Amino acid sequence: MTNNNFEEVRRLVAEIIEVPVERLSPDADFFKDLGVDSLKAIEIVAAFEKKYRIIIPEKDIPNIKNLRQIIEYTEPVKTAKA
Amino acid sequence: MNWDKEKIKSILPHREPFLFIDEVIEIDGTEKVVAVKNIKNNESFFEGHFPGRPIMPGVLIIEAMAQASIILFSVDRPEIAKTHPDYYLGKVKAEFVSPVYPGDKLVIETNKVKFLDYAGITDAVAKVNNKVVATANLVFSIKKE
Repeated sequence: MTNNNFEEVRRLVAEIIEVPVERLSPDADFFKDLGVDSLKAIEIVAAFEKKYRIIIPEKDIPNIKNLRQIIEYTEPVKTAKA
Repeated sequence: MNWDKEKIKSILPHREPFLFIDEVIEIDGTEKVVAVKNIKNNESFFEGHFPGRPIMPGVLIIEAMAQASIILFSVDRPEIAKTHPDYYLGKVKAEFVSPVYPGDKLVIETNKVKFLDYAGITDAVAKVNNKVVATANLVFSIKKE
């Protein structure tokens, strides 16, 4: 995970869920720690799909619970496209 | 295939005077729905908005967009729509460009951004005489009883 990528993803998520960037540590649980609900979750998914031009399958969404997991999820796609 | 009022009412739980779709005139796969609401002179909301100077409230244009979005969702996820869940608006980002008056034919185009079983995001455009009167991005949730 590059620092640039981490910061980019962190900013994107922070903007959607409306929390200060500092609160978004890699392992903070979106749902338990950051108050993300189902509507915010679909907004995060849609924003990532648009930005990285990927499709996140519905079955994978429950497994993406923190910043680290979302970066791990998008990283292989980005690398493959690079 | 066009949808008439009866078909629309089989999907939307809304009823007069809060049903804001008269007809569905285009369905593009599961990506897009185009619907029509003919704005009548005697719409109940014109009584107060505004007396002697009728203008369709912007929030009701949003409501029409939301109802068209439910129809699109039902085309994408018929098995969920069949259970007649509750639909809730969660977040709206909208821009209003021109007023809508009695006699206008409001054409609402709604496009799928992302649908899940329990939530959806659409981009909608409302037009009168092919001129954009409002645009909105809608986030809504779907809850089964």
